[in-house]
Order: sequence, then structure tokens, then C-alpha cells
Amino acid sequence: MIPGNKDSRDGYIFCIPFLLIYILFMVYPLINGFIISFFKYNILSTKKFIGLANYRTLFSDSKFYSSLWHTTQFVLITTPSLLILGFLMALFVNSKSPFKVAGESIFFIPYVFSMTVVSTLWAWLMQKNYGLFNHLLSTVGLNPVGWLIDSKWAIWSVSFATLWWTAGFNMILMSAAIRQIPTEIYNSSSIDGASYWQTVFKITMPLIKKTLSLCLILQVIASFNVFGQVFVMTGGGPYGSTRVLIQYIYENGFSYFKMGYSAAMSYILFALIMICSLILNKIGGNEDD
Amino acid sequence: MKLKKMLALLLLLIASTGLIFAQGAAETTTQKGPTVVTFWSLFTGGDGEFFDAMIDEFNATHTDIQMKTDTVKFDSYYTKLTAALAAGTAPDLVVVHEANIRNYVPDQLLALDPYLEENNFPVDDFVSAPLEACKFDGQYYAIPLDVHPIIMYANTALLKQAGINDLPTNYEELIADAKAVQDKTGAMGIACDNTTAVYKAYTLTRLFFSMMYEQDGQMLSDDNMSAAFNNEYGVKALVALQDMVNKYEVTPQGLDYDSSVNAFKLGQAAFHFNGVWATGTFEKADNLDFVAVALPGLIGKPAAWGGSHTLAIPATEAKDPDHVKDILTCIDWITAHGEMWSLAGHIPTRTSVQESDAFKALPYRAGYASAAASTVAPPATDAWSEIYTTLSDKLEYAVAHNSNPQMALDDMEKTVNKIIMTY
Repeated sequence: MIPGNKDSRDGYIFCIPFLLIYILFMVYPLINGFIISFFKYNILSTKKFIGLANYRTLFSDSKFYSSLWHTTQFVLITTPSLLILGFLMALFVNSKSPFKVAGESIFFIPYVFSMTVVSTLWAWLMQKNYGLFNHLLSTVGLNPVGWLIDSKWAIWSVSFATLWWTAGFNMILMSAAIRQIPTEIYNSSSIDGASYWQTVFKITMPLIKKTLSLCLILQVIASFNVFGQVFVMTGGGPYGSTRVLIQYIYENGFSYFKMGYSAAMSYILFALIMICSLILNKIGGNEDD
Repeated sequence: MKLKKMLALLLLLIASTGLIFAQGAAETTTQKGPTVVTFWSLFTGGDGEFFDAMIDEFNATHTDIQMKTDTVKFDSYYTKLTAALAAGTAPDLVVVHEANIRNYVPDQLLALDPYLEENNFPVDDFVSAPLEACKFDGQYYAIPLDVHPIIMYANTALLKQAGINDLPTNYEELIADAKAVQDKTGAMGIACDNTTAVYKAYTLTRLFFSMMYEQDGQMLSDDNMSAAFNNEYGVKALVALQDMVNKYEVTPQGLDYDSSVNAFKLGQAAFHFNGVWATGTFEKADNLDFVAVALPGLIGKPAAWGGSHTLAIPATEAKDPDHVKDILTCIDWITAHGEMWSLAGHIPTRTSVQESDAFKALPYRAGYASAAASTVAPPATDAWSEIYTTLSDKLEYAVAHNSNPQMALDDMEKTVNKIIMTY
């Protein structure tokens, strides 16, 4: 019998099924993966302990750095744009516009599609010789652009497709926060003669600060984990110039069977994301909670 | 009263745990019917349909053996296969790309030599190049089902318009013909992809690979421990690729795989280099007059990069030699009916099939069957997958930027040697 009053005992018992699954599928792989990063392991033969060799290798691996840089580029491009776009959409959805109800659905529907559907769709829209965008460009007499195959454009094109796909998520969170602001505040500010944008910057934004901070952290984490849409749309190309870190981790683990090395890189990424999240959390002022 | 309730609940919980193990009871019903050979195939789409048709035909014509599967979708095939082989739960027969056999020998796949001999397997009927590629440390670990090398497709209608009646047999003739078609008809000379988009620009690597072997060169040293392409052969091969785009301009810049396939399919390109698997796509195109031939010896004797689908048996089968006999029967039948598999465009590996009327009657395929003998398998080293992917990036860069060939090769050699050290 677990000591304590009946409520907490029952509470623990009801938690056990979830905890079992959580430990088995989340905690155990997390710890096991970390252990694997100290071995040379190709999954089919026994592990060979090599200490910190994987970590030493990755610190002198130029492809690791270039992949990390490509991921960082993606984070720097998509984080501000997704937050700003999400915020603008949320403002629209809470405005007096007659289209706001339709707008909410239209902005959110892309998020419902799976990564493969979105990526394949945009890959064909942006295809250089047979895609719709270049077809439209040629009808007005402009030259086709290699949206996904020109190293100048590729990362921006993928970011744009990502914007279309996931901005709706931020919109929903921010919109929910905006709706919680009491209307009296808006009423009194309009009586005082505040313009629309003054209201947005001086009232709306400060009052949804916690949600904005949450969206920022979630967005940074998600962007650091980017893989699917880049892989499908550009294959990491041209000539590996958009290969993001997760793609490199995936190739090392599943194409080259270097499981230990792959694990080491994923834990470095994990540490990086953790540090970024902690810093953003502090800046966002959430430590008061 | 409370204690009784607790006891009742406890008893119920204990009793229900039995349900967890109900599924685990091994099926001990002895099969009094035909022997079942389970298999996994990685074929999807068009390939998958043709393979399924072969299996159905086998099952229809055999009463003593039946083949059964749950097809694993291609994109997670090797992940699942690796896991199953490691856990000992793989089926009786598996399809494995020749390049990947290496990852599973010597422990996960059955060494076939004793069984082949015992069952009089018709080893001599196989074309030797693909069969030898299935040998590791002197033993056979798989039997080749097909060879799929890179070949040359040519649009005969466009060639005729430009006044060309014979196909080019070397690089100079290829460029001249491509230029002639481009000038006279405005169509693309050579639809050869050189940029990665949805698909990686592997064609460049495959052609580079082929041209190295055409000149009797090699990609890696005999012991696979160092790069062997940084020499006059490599320079000649790289320059040939770069000139197609930058000097002779018979291939546009920034052409990706989908564009190159579509250009040829729509009749907008004279020549196209691709694996034999593209035959099926082009056959279905309307108004496309084309031929498919073995890759000509562009700068040397004929030699072409090629992959091969093979049939292998997981090592767990060693426990049951009689069952291995049945599995070999299946392999024998499938490879002997290679003309059915050829519908997918691949080249059969048995001489008897290549010489059969059924195969010769198939459109296009007999035209490039000779390529099987000059197909070169990739070097047998764990590092090959990473080398292949890395070289693809570097060749793509060198062609796109028309880099100095010697500097490009120096960089490739350095990188490849560094990669080999990590294995």
C-alpha cells in the first residue's frame, strides 16, 4: 500500500500506464541513444566502445559544420517570418473584417496537410522546367528561375513553402491569447484616441507576451529540427548546399550505418536546442513563473 | 468489505494478465499442405506489379511450394530489413540491392555455395559479371535477379530529322549528333541531369564511374582503402561531363532528374542517359519513337555503372536445409522466367532467358541486354554509400561551376580518403 491519503495513491496508480509507455518509448531511447554515441555501432554487429571518438570526429567534420549552418540559416529565416506572419494573421482574425471567419479556416488548412503532400506540391510548383511558377513567369516574358536548384534561392524557396504550411499554427495560439484580452481595455484606449497600430504595439503585444514567448521557443525548436520538407524539395541540393543537420544525421545512421556517430551528432543538436530554449526562456521573462 | 473489494480487483488484474500472453502461443499446427516460402520484396509501383505477377504465376504452377509476402514499402525497406535480420525475424527470401549485400555479410545472410552444389543449381546459366558481384570473400551470398545499368536512350525521330541514321558509338560522335539535332530542330541535345532537386543528380556520378572503367581505370584501389580516380582517366572523364554543359552546350545548366526524364518523354531531347528502369516510362509515352541501347564506350571500351537486384536467404535458414532447397527452387524459377521481370525494363541475368524467343519478342529490351556483360558493380566496401553520395555532390558542383578539373579531383580524392578512414 502506498502511504498517504487515498487520492494521491490512486493518482499514482492511474499514472502508471502512461508512465510505462513514456519510459519505454521516450526515456529509454533517450538514454540508450546517448550511450550509443560512445560506441562504434552499425546495428548488425556488436557495439565497440570508443569513448569520445565520435565527438572528436564531428568537431573536425566540415560537413557537420556546413549542415549545422544550413539548419541555422533556416532557423534565422523562418523564425521571425513565421512569428510575424502568424501575428498578422491573428490580428486579422480578430479584427472587424467580414472575411475573418473564412480567413481563419484558409490560414489554418495548410497546417492540416502532411509534410510529404506539402513538399511534393511545392516541389512541382517550383520545378524549373515544368513547374507552374516558371510557366507564369514565361507568359509575362521573364526567364525561368531555378527556385529549388539555384543555391541562391533554394533555402528561401523551402522557407517560403514552410511559411505557407505552418504559419497557421502560430496564428491559432496567438489568436487565442488575443481573445483573452478584456474588451474594456480596447474600449478605453479608443476613447483615449489611440490609433490601430498604437493599440497593437502598446496594448495587444504586451498583454500576450507569454504566448509570444512560447511561440518563439516552439518555433525555434521546430526550425532546428527541420528535415522533411528540405529533403523532399531539394534533396539537400544543389550539391549539398541545403543539406540540414538532421539530413546528415539521417544519412550517417541509415545510409552509412554509422549509428554511433549519428547519435553523437543528434546529442550535440539536442544540447544546442536546449541552450537556445533556456536563453529564450530567460529573455522572454518566463522565469518569474 | 474494503479488503474483499481489493482482493477481487487484484484477482481480476492477475487473471487479465493472461490475456497479454494469449497471442504468444506458437502456432504448432503442422502444415500438411504446400511448403510456404515467405519473402519480402522492395518493389513498388510498376516494378511491384510485374513482380507480383511473377509470384502469382509461380503459385499457380506449383502445388508443393507457395510463396507469400507482405510487401515492405521501398522507403523504409532497408530499415525494416536490417531490424528483422538483426532480430532473426526476417522471412525466408529477401530482395536486396547488390550494393547493400555487403552490409549483411557474413553473419546475416546465408553463404550459398554448399546449398547450390547440393541442389545442382544452374550457376553456369548466369551471366558472369552480375553473378560474381554477389560473391564476398569467395562465397556467393545472393543470386542476381536482374542487372539495371545506365544505358543510352535516343529519339529516332529527332535523329532522322537531323539526317542522322546511325547511333553514336563514342563521345565525339555523341556531341556531334547532339549538336546537329539541336541546330536543326531546336530540341535539347542530351537530357542528362546535372542538378539535385527532388532526386539527387546521380547520373553524373554514374557516367563518371562508367567512364573510369571504360578506360580500364578504377574508382578505388584494389584494397578499397584509397581513391584511384585522381589521374589522367579521371580528368578525361570529368572534362567530358563538364564540356557537355559548358563547352559544347548540348545539355542545359541546372537540369534536374525530373526535367531530364520529361524532356525525353515529351520528345524534346535527342539523347538521354538513365537506368534501364526508365524504359517503362518511355514506352507509355504517346508518339515517342525511341531506341534503348547499351551505353556506348564513350571514351574507351564499353563499361557501365549498374545496380543489381538480388535474391538472398537470411542466415537463420541454415537450421533447415530442406527448406533452403525449396527457397532455391523459387529462386531458380524466378530467374528462369526473367522475361516476365524484364517487363519492368530490367535485364535478366540468365543466358538462357536472354536467348529465348519470349525475351527477344519484347520491345526495346533485347536492344540493351548485351549491357549485362559490361556492367560494373560498385566497389565492395562499407564506405561506398558515403563515397557515392559525397562524389555526387562534388561532381555536381564541378559541372555547375566548370571548376578546374585537377583541383576538383584533388579535392575529391582528399575527401574520399578521409571518408574511408572513418570506417
